[in-house]
Amino acid sequence: MLVVNNLFVSFGGVTALNLERFSVKENELRVIIGPNGAGKSTFMDIICGKTKAQKGSVLFKGQELMGMAEVDIAKMGVGRKFQKPSIFSGLSVFDNLLLGIKTHKNVFSTYFYKLKSHHNDKIYEVAKMVGLIDDLQSLAGSLSHGKKQWLEIAIVMLQDADLMLIDEPAAGMSDIEAEKTGELLVEASKTHSVIVIEHDMKFVEQIAIDKVNVLVRGEMLTEGTFDEIKNNKDVIDCYLGSPDSAQEAKVA
Amino acid sequence: MLKKILLLFMVMLAFVKPIFSMEQDSCIQIILQKDKVSFDEAAHQICERKSIGDIRFAAAILEKRLYKSQTIALTKYKGNDDYVPVFSTTSIGFSKDSIQEVKLSRKQRLAFSSLSKYCNLISAKPEVRIMGYQLLISKGVLSDAPIVKAFIKEELDEKVRLSAQSALMGIMLRSEDLKDQDEALLQMAKSRSGIFVNALKDYAELNAEDAGRAEKANSIIRYIHRKEVFVNFIQNLFSGISLGSILLLVALGLSIIYGLGGVINMSHGEFVMIGAYTTFCMQQIFIAAFPPAWFDFFYIMSIPFAFITSGLMGLLIERLIIKHLYDRPLESLLATWGVSLMLIQLCRTIFGDVTAVKAPSFLNGGIEVIEGLMLPYNRLFIIGLTAFMVVITYLVFNKSRLGLKIRSVTQNRNMSSCVGINTKQIDSLTFMLGSGLAGVAGCAMTLIGNVVPDMGQTFIVDSFLVVVTGGVGKLVGTIVSAMGIGVLSKIFEFFFQAVYGKVVMLGIIIIFLQFKPKGLFPDKGRHSDDD
Amino acid sequence: MIKDNKYYILFFVVFMILLPLAYVVGLVDINTITLWGRYFCFAIAAIGVDLIWGYTGILSMTQALFFCFGAYGMGMYLTLSNLPAGTTLPAFMTWNQVSELPLFWQPFESFPAAMALALFVPAAFAAVFGFFVFRSRIKGVYFAIITQALALAMFLVFSRNETMLGGTNGLTDFKTILGFDLRSSNTKLALYIISFGVLCLVFVYAKNLVKSKFGKSLVAIRDSESRMRFTAYKVTNYNIVIFVIAAVIAAIGGILYLPQTGIITPGRMSVQASIEMVVWVALGGRGSVKGAVIGALLVNLMYSIFTSLMPGAWLYVLGGLFIVTVLYLDKGIVGLFDQLKQKFYPVKSNS
Repeated sequence: MLVVNNLFVSFGGVTALNLERFSVKENELRVIIGPNGAGKSTFMDIICGKTKAQKGSVLFKGQELMGMAEVDIAKMGVGRKFQKPSIFSGLSVFDNLLLGIKTHKNVFSTYFYKLKSHHNDKIYEVAKMVGLIDDLQSLAGSLSHGKKQWLEIAIVMLQDADLMLIDEPAAGMSDIEAEKTGELLVEASKTHSVIVIEHDMKFVEQIAIDKVNVLVRGEMLTEGTFDEIKNNKDVIDCYLGSPDSAQEAKVA
Repeated sequence: MLKKILLLFMVMLAFVKPIFSMEQDSCIQIILQKDKVSFDEAAHQICERKSIGDIRFAAAILEKRLYKSQTIALTKYKGNDDYVPVFSTTSIGFSKDSIQEVKLSRKQRLAFSSLSKYCNLISAKPEVRIMGYQLLISKGVLSDAPIVKAFIKEELDEKVRLSAQSALMGIMLRSEDLKDQDEALLQMAKSRSGIFVNALKDYAELNAEDAGRAEKANSIIRYIHRKEVFVNFIQNLFSGISLGSILLLVALGLSIIYGLGGVINMSHGEFVMIGAYTTFCMQQIFIAAFPPAWFDFFYIMSIPFAFITSGLMGLLIERLIIKHLYDRPLESLLATWGVSLMLIQLCRTIFGDVTAVKAPSFLNGGIEVIEGLMLPYNRLFIIGLTAFMVVITYLVFNKSRLGLKIRSVTQNRNMSSCVGINTKQIDSLTFMLGSGLAGVAGCAMTLIGNVVPDMGQTFIVDSFLVVVTGGVGKLVGTIVSAMGIGVLSKIFEFFFQAVYGKVVMLGIIIIFLQFKPKGLFPDKGRHSDDD
Repeated sequence: MIKDNKYYILFFVVFMILLPLAYVVGLVDINTITLWGRYFCFAIAAIGVDLIWGYTGILSMTQALFFCFGAYGMGMYLTLSNLPAGTTLPAFMTWNQVSELPLFWQPFESFPAAMALALFVPAAFAAVFGFFVFRSRIKGVYFAIITQALALAMFLVFSRNETMLGGTNGLTDFKTILGFDLRSSNTKLALYIISFGVLCLVFVYAKNLVKSKFGKSLVAIRDSESRMRFTAYKVTNYNIVIFVIAAVIAAIGGILYLPQTGIITPGRMSVQASIEMVVWVALGGRGSVKGAVIGALLVNLMYSIFTSLMPGAWLYVLGGLFIVTVLYLDKGIVGLFDQLKQKFYPVKSNS
């Protein structure tokens, strides 16, 4: 599904990312963890076209993504949820979802678009799934932070993206909300490939049904199941190395 | 005045030598005595002889200001009631009582008309003499050569002498002697001055059948034109740099303010206007309250005052309005446009429509780098002032504590606030600095234009283009793009007309932004602009 | 919904029936009618501004320019159809030693062609300019600045004599339109009614547009352009299309404006004129079609009142409006009324 080779990015001379190889299979749920500034978000930015890499290749369904515009990458089936919820705050939740739905998205089609019943059904289905069914008519900007996160996930899901890039979905959520989000992602991964970035170890444990990658200072430290990672000495040294960050991890 | 008198004196001194012999000259005496019998003959001789003294004498006659005291020919100069001997400046004793006007009939005066074309050459004013010589370049005849040569020998003013030599070249072009012609052509080609074009054209026409000579003249004309184009180009380049300097002064403040607070200050141009009116007021104060000799100081004084007045006005508006608009660029654009309307109207109410500032005398004139290429002092001053302000701004921003704080707030407002920087205070101070810079720009603009209430509008759009092209909040970017836009628009004006130059300029900026949407010097690194 | 419609019907009745009736009876004179007719043209333009700025969040300083494109198109037709007998050229061309009608003037001899061009030229201009600017993702402040420069440049071009558009004096001195005398009251009344009719049509069109998915996507672009991109919408094309639509609406306003004013000069397309249009919308309520109309009518009414009562004060009032609107009336008058309504009749907004 996704194959990344020799990816290299630097900002003003500082290496932000240097990946030799990374790949995700179909219907896989991959979790990437790593300390702040490890290059996780940058990695996603490159896949979805927001940031340009200096060199390397990103193959998606066998096609090179490097150099393509965001829109075209999105059209190919890469969906992105940002760390900071990015939704259309001036529209109702329903309209947010309507815009997300997979259909022809050129100006002409949109201009003459009439709401189709199967689109309506789909919106209600997803809204139910993410628990926004009662909020469909509310202004998206007035939602709570957690609900905004879900709304964004819902938009990405409606987009029916083959590869979903989810950046810190549980940030700012209560434990119960986070757990529900985790279920949602696991559910989504049955039909889509999903990459999730997360800090919250409890949440990672919940969703790490496939492999977990550890990214440190722009480089891939290791890859394995959650249990392998948890007991990996390098990871503990690097990621949980200093007593401070160990503390942080425990608290999280 | 003193200078003029001195000059007059020097000019007259130049004629001391031939004088004494002239005084007793019989022809002169015949004219003075109005001896009817030999008058015509004497006049004829004088016209034939045309020595420098003769010309002075003839000029006095033609301009009806010939007097005498016994045998001494006297005259008066314009704007001076004293009688002066025509042939001397030494105080040869003549009593005032014995002075009588030498009244000549029209016919008698006309006898000297052939000398009238030389009258300008004996003027006390160098400009008039130069004018006289320039006329001779194309209108002079071969017989003028000796007198011009004589004048060259006597002339003390360097510029006038050069002009006289040009006249001689023009005259020599009409010489029968081919050698003389060649020599003149050679000299003209060397000087490449535009004043020869007419003479050369005549020469080419006159020698139409001699293809070689005509071509030679024509090639020199082309040569001269090429030089003129070059000089014009340099002149445009220079005005471009001075235009760029003003743009830079205006844009610098805009860029700083936008970089810091995300505020598009449409009223920035009005701070320019306030600076200009401060200069105007300072001028009025100096006229009213200080002795005239101090007048020139008003301009020096008004530079800091323009900075302070505009700065304080900026502070007031920042506290009242702008502080609510940080990081809302589009809203700030609208609100500050409103501010600008009100300030313009206020100014119109107070000062009326058009006023002007008289440039201080030390900024009059300019340096002539090569012939025809004049760099005016006022524009040089503007460039210098801009350079000075840019250096100060650089130092404030990069070497002072305040600058450090401003830069840190620009980068990250929240974090700066966390480390104990009073961000509100920094906002105000920065806005004040930016407005103050605009005030200085206004002060500079009084040197090259009128002071009108909506003068700020002239530069505001261009200044924003400078900010956009340079990259927001970047000193280097602002400098490069201000100079670039200034120089390019002048160069386009050189090739196209002014208006189309502007259109072309805009087209280039849009094309430029296709490749560099964030300007010349964009921020590098990871930015999180998720709208 | 019905409650809302009540006001629309009232609005329609007042301007379509009562005001003309008042004129027929003799309560108001024809100048008042023409004045309102002109306001409606501004209101039409304001709807265009609202679509591009209020809904899509693109601050365009060229709306007055497009308004003028329309007005000039109409003006060129009127100029040619009103040539004094025996002349083949407008007077200003004769003064500039032009012996033949320039090629670009020739289509304007026919009314349909003139109208088509008056709409097509701004549309094409907006499309080409929009293509280059939006493609390089110039937006927000940068877009405002670039369009300001464009407006200034076009102002200068139109002011030149050699561009054959009448220079700074513009186009004026029209006597008839399609054979009707422009000075007759009946023509004036007809123009008023046509303007109001067109305003209603544009209003309904805009209302439907913003309700459609296309309208939603415009708001989405305003709220988060990047989210829109990552949701696979080609934002550039959307921006271009709405820019063109807004341009055409502004041009419609301009076309109707000219016969009711009788003169169009380059001054109408200045940056100031465009910013003023934005303030109409801001005052009325951005992101609300009726807000745009209310704002345009209100500000222009105030302009008429102030310039006749105390001319010196108008710029202070206008400047003050800019500031007050931005600082205190985020959603304009419409927003203010909504807030008041919420306060006094708290209804849950579950319509």
